[in-house]
Formats: sequence, structure tokens, C-alpha cells
Amino acid sequence: MAEASKRLPEATPGWSRTLSLLNPLRGAWWLFTNVRFAIFLLAVLSAVSLVGVLLPQKPLPVRGDVVAETDWLAVQEGRFGFLTGPLDALELFNLFHAGWFAVLLVITVVSTAAYLVSRLPGVWRGITQPRVRVPDRYFEMAPNRATAAAAIDVARIESMLRAARYGVGRSDEDGATYLFADRFQWAALGTLFTHAAIIIFILSAVVSRADSFSSPLFLAEGSTLPVFPVSNPDQIQVELLDSIARFSPDGIPLDYRSEMVIYRRGDEVKRCESTVNSPCSYDGYRLYQTAYFGFGAAVQVTDTATGNVIYRETLPLSERTDAPHLRIADSDANLLFDQPVVMTDAARAGEQAYSAALLALSNGRVITVWLPLDGDDTLLVFEPEANADGATATLTLGETADSAGLTFTYASLESVPSLVPPDFPLPERAGEGVTGEAFLQMSNVVYGTGTTSEGTTLDTAGSPAGAPPVLTMIGLREGAVQLAPGESAEIDGLEYRFLGQREFSGINVRRDRSDLLVWTGAALIVAGLVITFWVPRRRLWAKITPTRTWLAGQAPGHANYSRELQRLLDAAGANNPETT
Amino acid sequence: MSESAETAGINVEGTPRRGRRGFARRFLYPLLVIAAIAAAIWWLEYRDDGPTSSTGEEYGPVSLPTELVPAGANVAAEEGALAPDFILESLDEGDELRLSDFRGSPVVINFWATWCKPCRKEMPQFVQAYDELKDEGLVIIAINQQEGRGIAQPFAEDFGMDFPIAIDRDGDVADRYRLLGLPTTYFIGRDGVIRSVFTGPFEAEGEGTNVQGAIDESELDRRIAEIMND
Repeated sequence: MAEASKRLPEATPGWSRTLSLLNPLRGAWWLFTNVRFAIFLLAVLSAVSLVGVLLPQKPLPVRGDVVAETDWLAVQEGRFGFLTGPLDALELFNLFHAGWFAVLLVITVVSTAAYLVSRLPGVWRGITQPRVRVPDRYFEMAPNRATAAAAIDVARIESMLRAARYGVGRSDEDGATYLFADRFQWAALGTLFTHAAIIIFILSAVVSRADSFSSPLFLAEGSTLPVFPVSNPDQIQVELLDSIARFSPDGIPLDYRSEMVIYRRGDEVKRCESTVNSPCSYDGYRLYQTAYFGFGAAVQVTDTATGNVIYRETLPLSERTDAPHLRIADSDANLLFDQPVVMTDAARAGEQAYSAALLALSNGRVITVWLPLDGDDTLLVFEPEANADGATATLTLGETADSAGLTFTYASLESVPSLVPPDFPLPERAGEGVTGEAFLQMSNVVYGTGTTSEGTTLDTAGSPAGAPPVLTMIGLREGAVQLAPGESAEIDGLEYRFLGQREFSGINVRRDRSDLLVWTGAALIVAGLVITFWVPRRRLWAKITPTRTWLAGQAPGHANYSRELQRLLDAAGANNPETT
Repeated sequence: MSESAETAGINVEGTPRRGRRGFARRFLYPLLVIAAIAAAIWWLEYRDDGPTSSTGEEYGPVSLPTELVPAGANVAAEEGALAPDFILESLDEGDELRLSDFRGSPVVINFWATWCKPCRKEMPQFVQAYDELKDEGLVIIAINQQEGRGIAQPFAEDFGMDFPIAIDRDGDVADRYRLLGLPTTYFIGRDGVIRSVFTGPFEAEGEGTNVQGAIDESELDRRIAEIMND
């Protein structure tokens, strides 16, 4: 049998190869196309990434802020001790943003790309111009082979191979028939797909780092915020129409949603809803809900002389102020008061300072409540300006006491949202009670329960008195100003109006154009794996003479291709198989 | 060696296929891709940027009329230079504003937005200043940054902004005036020259000090007086 296969180029002598590697470009090419080097790189990258996952990484707001970084590292010293400095010097606390990590990624990409490029011509040649003849000795030494001491029906084996989706080529020479059968030859690209996917994943990380955009917005219902800095020609603005939260009866958040409008160039371009997992999308930007805050008070101040609004803000009442929950009943057990008391005043008795409040009961009696500011859990309750028969009681938490026909119960110590807003307009006249700053508290609000507000309408069913929220403003005049939604009070030419409770949503506007690359990489890696394991390439060579038949095959990943070859021989009519 | 004709599925000869498909792959498809990219760039560059002014000019910065530029004068958004001209939509639908139309009057240009808290804080001062000095010729132009009428109009009405309000939809004028943030205010003399620039909110009279009577005139009043008395 003639040798039909191409001869391999002769191996380069060792010294010559060594010399050729001294050429820097040739040496680099050799290094980057070396499989072992690629595996080494991937192993290093995996190990380093694992370190980055295990070690705490500097949060985004800390990075680049020297003071914040110093504070953050001081906290880490508690965990890592003397290793903190060296770990920081090696940038292991900022690993995924470290320059050396980027260099490692680039080398990995170059190596993988070089390997891909170096393999591609050979793989392509193997697909489009497969070796149709192998040397006769290959039938004696192939890893997968079978032979029979008899001729077989060539036409039958051909048809069997075609039925098994092999492409079959045939040639006759010197009384022997040679077959070459190839199945799923394109599957050879599978591994290249996987390699390409690695490159694309790393590139997507680079694109994401270089190009991604993220802007957090904290919006009150009815307010609008821009996404970009001023004068950006692509500016978009987000208006929050409604911030919606649902909680389980025990206060576990079930759902946060935001209904919003997006504007561009002053025109409404989209009206949508956003949740934590289902963002609103516009022009490549995704708007995710990231936070919810339910205690906002919308306040407006108008100059009554001109009718012009001089102040309108939705204030996030982010502080908490103690509010003792007091229950008062008369001698017939009629409930006269049952809710947290908003402490509106200050009082002092000797060295002890108190917060204080006056309560007007439904039966006309007025009760004073004093709560010590030093954390003492006693509550003083008494009737001011009453004679010796007036009610007076000192209660500890949970205690009930009777006095002058009234029963007082100190049910619990609760708190109400509060804030000292900066720049809050005060009446010009420095009259009695004007303190130089306003103190706002909002009571009758519900949060963290099954009855938390739905939309802009506060569900007050679960509020202490079934009443709407009340805004208490202290420091504007003698005595507190208490307003329900829509109510106003005029003080020295200024009209203070409580517009109502508002909720806030934290919205993160993000754009990451590496998404497409990630999906492409994922598709490639899945395609590569599917091809490799589901439609693996099979190549089969046969030599059939009047007295003997040889089969040899290549089937990477096949558990026992020799057995398959044997079955083929059996089915084709050979009766004396000799299998290896 | 003689190859049989039966070479199903295998290109035994390895002969490349040429012809119409080869031409399409080599030349036509790449040309189509290049043409598509060129068309996309052209569209992005020359797409309709929205309505234009009554003079046919696009809203935004425009050239100062030559008769308003003295020989050797510098036009720039900086102190001592002629204020760059612009034409913008007015908040009053159908109207428009051109800065150079106010040449001869002291002009205050205030860049603002409803979402800008410091802008909201200082706006009553502009309202008050305009009420007091409009009869003496003071012009205040409030340039809203990239918001629509639906948002800016109710705010302007509630805060009593009776002075001209323009809408800079694309932010081009803000860009021409090299804005770093909001609010920013330009004080322009009767000759069209920028006298001063103030970035940030103006403190109200007596604000920002604990010393009684330390400030008897607000910063805004002082700067307005400067251009009024030019």
C-alpha cells in the first residue's frame, strides 16, 4: 500500500529551537502558545481570585478617600493584626482593582488568544481538509482499532456509516479499498468556542470596569432628580411618582416597588415600574430599586404677604425621638387616651432634665407627662395647676396606677421619626418659643407592619388612634404646632403647611455594556460544552482487502470506541474479529 | 491513487469553492457593514435636535450680533468678557428669549433646576430682588436646566418667579457658560460684559453669621447693586 498521508515536518533540533527562542518575539509566541503556561496562568488567576473573595475588599465609597481608607484599615487591623500593612501594600484589599491583577488578566487574555490563533489554522484544516488516508501501520497501532480475518461488504459498511451520520469517502488501490468516515467534523470547533469564551469573559470585565456607569438616586415621592452632572447632553431625569412597600405582619419586607417617569430634554420618554430584581430600562440604562424609606414629611412655607412659596421640601425624618405610649382611662373604664405621646417641650426639676408634653383629654382634663432625658424609665404624670386632689403618678415601664379618678398605664416606650432640618425658615420675630431651629416629629405613622403605606395614601388602619399622620413642629412659637396632612398654621407672616407623609426610594441607575459580552461568552461556553460532549467528532479509517479488514478510529472522549468499531465489523458481516 | 466519486460530506480534494457567494462574503457583506456603521454615525451626528427658534436658529448658544461686539472685545463666559449670546425657549409656551435683546439693561442670569435644593433655597431672594428692582430696569433670566415645562411651570408659579424663565433642554447654554454645578449666577452689566460670577446658593441677609448686624446687605443685593450702578 502506498503511503498517501502527508509527511510531518521534521522536528527542529533542540539547539536550533533554543536559539530560535532567544528571539524575543518568537520566545513570547512560544510562551503564549504553550498550553502549560496557559494552565499555569489560569491556576494563578483562580487562586488570586479566591484570595480576593476570602479577604474583605475596600468598599466603593472608601476607595480613593485617604481618610476613609485609613479608618477602614484600622478596622481590619482587628482581624489581621500585623498582616494588615503587608496585605494592603500588596493591594490584596483592593485586589480586583489592583494594577498587577489587571496585568495578570491581560497576560491571560493574550495567552489564550495566542493559543486560540495558533490552533485555529490546524483545527480548520482538520475540518475542511481531513486526512483521508492513514499509513497502513496506523491500523496496527491506533488506540481504537478492530480487525477481522475476512473481507466485508464495502457497500454495506458504507451505508451503515451514512446511516450513523458519517460522511464517507472511498478510494481503491492495489486491490484494497480504503474508507474514510467523518462525523461531526465541526465539533472540533467546540474547544475553540470555550477558549474564545474565556477571552470574552475577561474582556467583558475590562469593558465593565472601563465603561460601566452607576448613579445612586434617593428620591422622595413627587420629586425629580437628574442622573448625570449638569449640562450633560444626554441628561435623563427620574421622577418618583409612588414608592410602595409591603411588609409581613411581623415586619419583614415583602416587596419594594417604585413607579416612576423618565424625562429626557424635558419630555416624558418613559413611565415604568422598578423593583429590586426587575429594573425599569431606558436607553441602555437600568433603574433598580435599592432602598426604601417611609418617613418623609412634605412641608411648605409660604410668605403670606406675597403668597409666594419660600420653602418646599420633603424631609427625610431619619432620627428617632422617644415617645412613651400612655393609656389613660376614667373611673368607668372609658379610654380617654391611648397612643404614643409626642414630647413637645423641655422641663427641669433640680438637676434632672425632662422632655415634656401636655395632653388634652377628651373629658377636658389636661395632663402633663414628663420623661427623664437620662434614660431613666420612669414616667411622671400629673395635672398641672390642679389642687391637691389632682392626679399624679410615677410609672415605670408596664406599670399601671390610679390617681384622682384616672387610671394611667405606661404601656411601652416607643419612638417617632424626627429631624432638625437645616435652613428651615423660622418666623422673623424672635418671640417666645422661637429657638433658632425647628424640630419636627411625625407621629401616627406606620412602618414595618402589614399596614405600612401602600402608595401615596397612608393606610392608617393600624395606627395608634386610627388617625392620619401628625407633624409636630417645635421651635416656631411658644408651644408646639401640630398639623394633619393638608393643615396649615400661620405664624408671624409665614404659613406652615404639612403636605403629608411621603416615602423615599433609593434608585440605582446603571449601565453596563459588557452585558452583551457576558451573554456571548456564556453562549459560547455552553455551545462549546454541548458540542464537545453531545456531538463529539468521530473519525474512522478502514482498509478492506479480499482476506482481511482493518478499522481504526479517533474519538476523543469516547469510553470505548474500539468496541463500537467491533460492533460495526460484526454488523457488516465479519466473522473473525480481532479487537484491540 | 484514484479517488472515487463517492465523497459524501467530505471534501477530499480540499478545493475551495468560489463564485457569487465568495464575492458576497469578501466584498458585499463587509461593504454593507461599513455602510451601516457610517449611516449610524451620520444619524447620531445630524439627527434632528428638536425645535428651532423663530429665526431658524437652533435653541442654544448663538453668535452675538456683530454690531454688539466692539472691536477687540472678547466673548467668553468669564469676568470682563462679553457674555456669550443664546436663544432659548421661554417657559411661556411659544415665546423665546435671546440674551442680546436685553443689551442696555443690567442682567442677572441664574442657572437653576427644581431638583436643586440650593436653587430652591435661594430662589425667594431672586424673587424679592426682582420685585424691588424690576421697575429700575433689572432683568433676571432664570435658565432651567434640562427640565420640561410640566415640572418647571408649577414650581415657578408657586415660588412667584415673575421674571423671564428659559429652558435649556440640551444643557448647551450651561455648557457654553462652563457650569460646574447648580446654582450658578452671572451678573452682566448694561454693556453686556460679565461683571461677576457666583457659584452656589446666596445666603439670605443676616444668614451665616451670629454677629448681629454684621451683614446688612446680602451678597446677592451687593452684586446686583454693582451692575445696577454701572
